[in-house]
Amino acid sequence: MTERLVTDIGGFEAGEVPREERPPLFWQRQLMAVFNLLWREKHILNLDEFRRKMEEFTPENYAKWGFYTRRLEGVIGLLEEKGVLRAEDVEARTQQVLREGRDGHTA
Amino acid sequence: MVTPLEPRFAAGDRVRILDLGKPGHVRTPAYVRGRTGTIERFCGLFENPEERGYGREGRDRIPLYRVHLQQRDLWSGYSGRADDTLEIEIYEHWLAPEETA
Repeated sequence: MTERLVTDIGGFEAGEVPREERPPLFWQRQLMAVFNLLWREKHILNLDEFRRKMEEFTPENYAKWGFYTRRLEGVIGLLEEKGVLRAEDVEARTQQVLREGRDGHTA
Repeated sequence: MVTPLEPRFAAGDRVRILDLGKPGHVRTPAYVRGRTGTIERFCGLFENPEERGYGREGRDRIPLYRVHLQQRDLWSGYSGRADDTLEIEIYEHWLAPEETA
C-alpha cells in the first residue's frame, strides 16, 4: 500500500497560491549559509538525510512551519541525532538569546 | 541486493512505476505509482537515497531514469491539453516492464 509522506502532496487541492516577493530575513540567510556549509563543505549531513528528517515532522508541524522554520528544525534535529548538538544546549542557548539578545554573544 | 552492471531499461522502453509500499524516505511520489510511461533517458548511476537518507553513504550506485508520462494518465478529469506531459526521475527498483507489471 502507498504510504504518503507528509511531503508527498502532489495532486492535493492547494487553494490560492499567494504570489508576492518576500526577501529573506537575516536569520534565514544565515541559516542557508550554515546549511550549505554543513552538507556541501563539511559533509556533516547529506540532502537525503535532510529530506528524510523533514518527512518525519508531524503533519501538524509540517503544515504550521514555513520553509525556513522547517529547514531550521530539520538541521537542528539532524545535528542532535548525529550527536553534534545536544538538545539541552540548543534550548539553553535559545533561552539565553531570548533573554539577553544576540549582540555580544559569540559562544 | 545485487547491483546490475548495466541499466535494465533503455530510452523508449515502456515501464510501469511500482508501488513498493516501502516505509521511510523514498523519492517516488504517490501520484505516479502504478502509472505507465516511457523511459526518456538513463540518467546515470547514483547512490540510493533510501540508504543515504539514514546516513548510509558509499553504497552501491543504482540506475536512475527520467520517465515520460502523459498528464491525462495521472489525473482523472485532467482539463489541460491532451498532449501535456510530465517527466520524473525514478530509480530502477521502482520500475517494471509495462507488460509484466
